[in-house]
Amino acid sequence: MSVVIEARDVEFSFGQTPALRGASLAVDAGEIVAVMGPSGSGKSTLLHCLAGILVPDSGEILFDGAKVHAMAETERSSLRRDRFGFVFQFGQLVPELTAAENVALPMLLSGVRRTEALRRAYTWFERLGLDGMQQRRSGELSGGQAQRVALARGLVAEPQVLFADEPTGALDSLTGEQVMDLLVGAAREQGTTVILVTHEARIAAYADREVMVRDGRVNAPDRIAS
Amino acid sequence: MSVPLTLLGLLEREPSHGYDLKRDYDAFFGRGKPLPFGQVYSTLSRLARDGKVVISDVAPGSGPDRKRYIITDVGATEVEQWLTQPVDPEPHLQTVLFAKVVLALMLDRPAAEYLDTQRSAHLHRMRELTEIKRAGSLVDALLADHGLYHLEADLRWIEMTGARLDALRKEVRR
Amino acid sequence: MIRFGLRLAVAGGREALTRLIVIAAAVAVGSGLLLTTLAGVNAVDAQLTRYASVYPSASTGGDADPLWWSTRNDYFHGEQIIRIDVAATGSNAPTPAGIPTTPGPGEFYASPALRELLAAHPADQLSDRYPGRDVGTVAPAGLTSPNTLLAIVGGTPDSVGKLPDARQVSDVGDKPALPETAVNLILGVIAGGLLFPVLIFIGTATRLSAARREQRFAAMRLVGATPRQISTVAAVEAAAAAVAGTAVGFGLFYAFRDPLAGIPFTGMPFFPSDMSLGVLDVLLVALGVPAGAALAAQVSLRRVRISPLGVTRRVTPRAPRAYRLIPILLGVAVLFFAISFRPATSDGQAAVFLPGLLLIMLGLIFAGPWLTMVGARVMARYASRPATLIAARRLADNPKAGFRAISGIMLALFVTSVAVGVITTIIDNRGPAPIGSTDAGTVTTVFDEKVPSVPDPLFAELRAISGVRSATAVREDPDIMNGGEGGLIACTDLPSAYGRCADGASVIEVPIGLSRWRESASPATVWPAASFTLDELQRLPVGAMVVGTDGSAAAVERVRTVLEVAFPSFWVGPNVPGDFESDFADTLRGWEQLANVIIIASLALGGCSLAVSVIGGLTERRRPFSLLRLSGAPVRVLRRVVALESAVPMLAVAAVAIGMGLLAAHLFLRAQMGYTLVAPQPGFYVIVVVGLAACLAVIASTLPLLERITGPETARSE
Repeated sequence: MSVVIEARDVEFSFGQTPALRGASLAVDAGEIVAVMGPSGSGKSTLLHCLAGILVPDSGEILFDGAKVHAMAETERSSLRRDRFGFVFQFGQLVPELTAAENVALPMLLSGVRRTEALRRAYTWFERLGLDGMQQRRSGELSGGQAQRVALARGLVAEPQVLFADEPTGALDSLTGEQVMDLLVGAAREQGTTVILVTHEARIAAYADREVMVRDGRVNAPDRIAS
Repeated sequence: MSVPLTLLGLLEREPSHGYDLKRDYDAFFGRGKPLPFGQVYSTLSRLARDGKVVISDVAPGSGPDRKRYIITDVGATEVEQWLTQPVDPEPHLQTVLFAKVVLALMLDRPAAEYLDTQRSAHLHRMRELTEIKRAGSLVDALLADHGLYHLEADLRWIEMTGARLDALRKEVRR
Repeated sequence: MIRFGLRLAVAGGREALTRLIVIAAAVAVGSGLLLTTLAGVNAVDAQLTRYASVYPSASTGGDADPLWWSTRNDYFHGEQIIRIDVAATGSNAPTPAGIPTTPGPGEFYASPALRELLAAHPADQLSDRYPGRDVGTVAPAGLTSPNTLLAIVGGTPDSVGKLPDARQVSDVGDKPALPETAVNLILGVIAGGLLFPVLIFIGTATRLSAARREQRFAAMRLVGATPRQISTVAAVEAAAAAVAGTAVGFGLFYAFRDPLAGIPFTGMPFFPSDMSLGVLDVLLVALGVPAGAALAAQVSLRRVRISPLGVTRRVTPRAPRAYRLIPILLGVAVLFFAISFRPATSDGQAAVFLPGLLLIMLGLIFAGPWLTMVGARVMARYASRPATLIAARRLADNPKAGFRAISGIMLALFVTSVAVGVITTIIDNRGPAPIGSTDAGTVTTVFDEKVPSVPDPLFAELRAISGVRSATAVREDPDIMNGGEGGLIACTDLPSAYGRCADGASVIEVPIGLSRWRESASPATVWPAASFTLDELQRLPVGAMVVGTDGSAAAVERVRTVLEVAFPSFWVGPNVPGDFESDFADTLRGWEQLANVIIIASLALGGCSLAVSVIGGLTERRRPFSLLRLSGAPVRVLRRVVALESAVPMLAVAAVAIGMGLLAAHLFLRAQMGYTLVAPQPGFYVIVVVGLAACLAVIASTLPLLERITGPETARSE
């Protein structure tokens, strides 16, 4: 297994408040890693640094050997658009667009033709148990359905890495687990690397391994041989 | 709950008489179920037989309370091993976990690391259960869920304890 | 509760203060414009009253001795001079307004503007027309406008009594002008064009950060505030902002009153003191605007119906239906109908035309959402870029909200295009003759009292003026009803610039001014022979003098002065083509200028409304947008969304409004005057483009906000 994305000694502060103080994490291709930790531990900041949303004050972010921390904003934007996928806790669907158009959005942003993008978006609906929801607006979807649409949007462009930031945070246990089932299943099928930020153990249990972020550092316990 | 290992742990703190051991045990771990004197002395004699404790200066007079027990290297090693080894992630562990944390704090050992190790073990088990759930039948899934929720409860306790180790350390080392 | 509301409004943190300031600013601009409109109506009324006093009607009675009075028109450099000849018949005859005493024979008073002209030009061009002593200046009370050219000339009762249109007046006091319904109506329409955007702007501004306000009110409900208390707080907040804004509005009005008075809205500027406010006007604005703002706050609260749990989640509003097109179609139909069926009286025409125009105005507003929706749906169907898709979907989802901010622009542009289209066409059809043409240099005086003959020395004197090419006395055709041209001259007297005689004719029929009304003089015109002999011709009275010049102002004015001195009993002074027309055109140009002011003001205001609604739309979609940006969508995609959502409907609406306006103007011109619409001059388009650019600039000013509120920090903190 080769490392696909890696943080090395990353430090990051919000003004005077340090969020990361030398965090390191290496994730193998195809691996699903849960990033756990209490609120305010810096786990979301770590995810944002890995995804090139935030630029570390010091330390390195490497993706496929490229130095993400040294890239310009436009480069990082196109990296996020073309190579990464994202699922957030809630509210990432554009309210004006239909569910299908929301799924097609990343492809449209990358310049795929509309009919083609929509065709590919449609294939996800059956797979996610959302058949018939293609024309619904986000306001007409339940939380779990919206999250599944968001998941499809995150994965439709077949990204190398999917960043999921508390993807079940706004859902009840059963719905959350359904979403996780789909997420893990689809990621495994596509071979997508997943970095999953969560504070819930049951959600983290869907990952291949977990790391703890505490006080801005990553505690990766030795892998336990099973 | 492992009474012999707990007593050994308490002895590692300082050599004690059987009576003191019982009193400390009851204060921290007994919680409404005091340890009978008989069990204290039988356990201590078994430990002495196995070479994990030795009896030092026997005070004049008669009765078991004249003996003072000291932990041996063998005994200390066993405590060390016990503390660092995660408990099997099964439900209803809190008493053992609790004993280990309190002892680790008393002995000035890295309690947080023990908790991390334990969390890891728990999560490992939860992953196995999750896999069973994903792959198996509904019955398997429901059984796995039962285990998962209990383990999750443990994990929450681990989190809470981990966040309050400093306060706990002050409490037990007064 | 009122004090609590005030404290919330004033001390509620930066956001509350910003909202307060924006609303206050909107109200300030709005109430300033409202005051200007009210003062403008007052100013027009004052101007009309004084204008009427220049043309008093004959009156007798009382114990006052009557005053002989004759108002005549004269011209100088294309400007109208009003000449009033007066003669007192007794010691207690009334004195005209604006002067201390009635001038005696050989005395005259002049308005300040005329005095300037008198001083600035040679006597033989102007001041020779007023032989006698300049005894003083006419005060503003006697002037229609600061730059009115007015002379009040004294005479004997005998001489003045013989002047055309002379009358005896026993009362010259200001009588209130009759309500000029037409002027009020037009002013009302224009004020509507301006005020509507203002009201829209105030309304939009009060909705600014409505979401935040609703959150706050929901929180208050949750801790036990009653709906009535919430209403009070909301009303107090809105009224506080409106009171502050209205106060600033009064300040703005008085600060800009003088320059505003200088704009010749009615063809002539106002005295600043004309633009006054009555007690009623002041009360109306000072009390009405805050009360209206409080009321608007109530209404907007009712719409969101704050429950303790806040506002319910967004649902797609019902789509507007096609029946919204009915009024506008009806309006256009009425105008078409007005062409084929033209009522005989102009009142009848107005009765058909005005409702048609109003129907189109209302119809535009009513049909706007439907048109927006249809346009957006088409755009959404063919959109392949995500920005276009998002923008089109939003507009199609809630076309009313999308249209609301631009409805003001639509109305203003419609009204002004109608006005500009009509004005341009009228000026084009009736404007002064092109400079350098024979017509432009032809001075004609038509005699009110027939003159048996013109003395030869006068011909000599006229021909001696440099620049004069010909001087011709046109005799009057005694049989005016025979369908002839109206005038007769000897063939030998016809200057070649005005045409030639029919073969063999000795006396020819010509128009009284040597060229036909609204036709250009041309050497190629052939005038028909008349059935008069030269002898018979000599016995006919002279109807007009036509003097051809090179068109230079000095020559024209010298000729005019000589003719006036020679024939002092003219009613309308000797004139060149365009003297009347330019007078009329000046008034129209004033309206045109007003139209330009309205275009720019309404577009800038519309831009502000749009900016406010853009900000609202951004705040509403802050989370999805910032998360899109996190997922790698470039900011320019979001910028494009904002631009498309606001600028595209605005530009489309501008095009539709101008098109409809010019169509309505065309139909009006066909129906009323039989003219064909002449395309507005480039200046109009420049003004529209400048206004649109200002509007776009205001929208563009919100884009930095877009970047700020969708930055990665936002996604974190929520």
